[in-house]
Amino acid sequence: MASRETTNNNHYRSGKEAGLVLCIECHTIHQYIPHMAMRCSRCGAQLHQRKPNSLNRTWALLITSIILFIPANMLTIMNVIYFGQDDPSTIIGGVILLIQLGSYSVAFVVFAASILVPLFKMVGILMILLSLKYNINLSDSQRITMFRYIDFIGRWSMLDIFVISILAALVNISGIAVITAGSAATAFGAVVVLTIMAANSFDTRLLWDYKQSTDNFLNSNNEQIK
Amino acid sequence: MLCHECDLLIQNQVIDEGSKLQCPRCGHVIYKQKHNTIGKSLAFTITALIFFYPAVTESIMSISMGGKSQHQSIIEGAQVLLQEEYYLVAILTFMCSLLVPLLRLLLLFYITFSLSVNLFHKSFFWSFRLYHYIEEWGMLDVYMLGIIVSVVKLSSMAEIQAGFGLWAYAGLLLTYILAANSLNPHEVWDLLLEHKQLGEKQNQTKTNQEAA
Repeated sequence: MASRETTNNNHYRSGKEAGLVLCIECHTIHQYIPHMAMRCSRCGAQLHQRKPNSLNRTWALLITSIILFIPANMLTIMNVIYFGQDDPSTIIGGVILLIQLGSYSVAFVVFAASILVPLFKMVGILMILLSLKYNINLSDSQRITMFRYIDFIGRWSMLDIFVISILAALVNISGIAVITAGSAATAFGAVVVLTIMAANSFDTRLLWDYKQSTDNFLNSNNEQIK
Repeated sequence: MLCHECDLLIQNQVIDEGSKLQCPRCGHVIYKQKHNTIGKSLAFTITALIFFYPAVTESIMSISMGGKSQHQSIIEGAQVLLQEEYYLVAILTFMCSLLVPLLRLLLLFYITFSLSVNLFHKSFFWSFRLYHYIEEWGMLDVYMLGIIVSVVKLSSMAEIQAGFGLWAYAGLLLTYILAANSLNPHEVWDLLLEHKQLGEKQNQTKTNQEAA
């Protein structure tokens, strides 16, 4: 109990500790009743103090997306048949083509959207999960900024999928030029969807729960030393 | 009040019109005080819905190559991929560039229109929840960037001309973003709660009268 009191006096107090639960849909606050399936009295959404199985779900989705990221980059994403000649290209091949065309800014945008963003996103979520699992002390403001960035930027990696669908539909002049999608497109689409779902299933409040529990631990240790 | 991102307990505070409340621990913007946003949002929603049909069915751009030309609309983009049997890619394109934006606009129209003429129905609650739930999957802005990238990619191969669909699409994108951003969701939830409580009171008086 000593540790609890120190948190009350010196530290931030969370809604969970106060026995409250927030509806994440309409932001109404309710009294939490343990071991009961609760629904929000205003909007009818299910209430949980923390998203159920948040870490397990995020891990599963993250690992699947990392596995799929390999074929997404190795296989051909787009096949350009120009005057009867096949010219299959991978994601990085498309970027190189843009550099050769001289449009560096667009090349950078595509490179960022289809390689940097998914990579950054997967590494970022992995770092947050690992820091939670092995109690590595990353700065909280760094972690939350990183997560917000990941969450915001994730949808932009859909760019390549849209470019393929536009090109495949537009360039379809038989005998001259035909563009078809490749199997990497499916893998890449799956990576994008899975990383977005992984970010959604992660409950940011867990970051602070962990921080509080270590703070309490340190405080109680300090008190014992005194 | 509780912060949505770090679950910090904050004392209830009075917030002035036009200002916002930020979490002192994680910096998340918890609440923005903005009133009378429903009418504005409704206006943008109607404009966006008007833009929607031409944006989707008219040709976005056309290319000409060796004397032959070809044009394409958004809906054809998904169709071609379906024919090539890339189902996941086709469904993703169709969902993110068409279905989700349309659904969101319709839900927004349903809620803002009924609230501005003082109608109320139970289905508003799940409609507004669904509206927020699918928010991330509406990717009109990303698709716009996709159009730009494809133009650059094709510029060496063929001549490209913008179609009427592109202008309608730009208008749709602008009004879609404005409709979503001008709405203060807290205002909608508060109004919905008021209506719900009012309805419950009326029901009670009715049953009381019948009992009497």
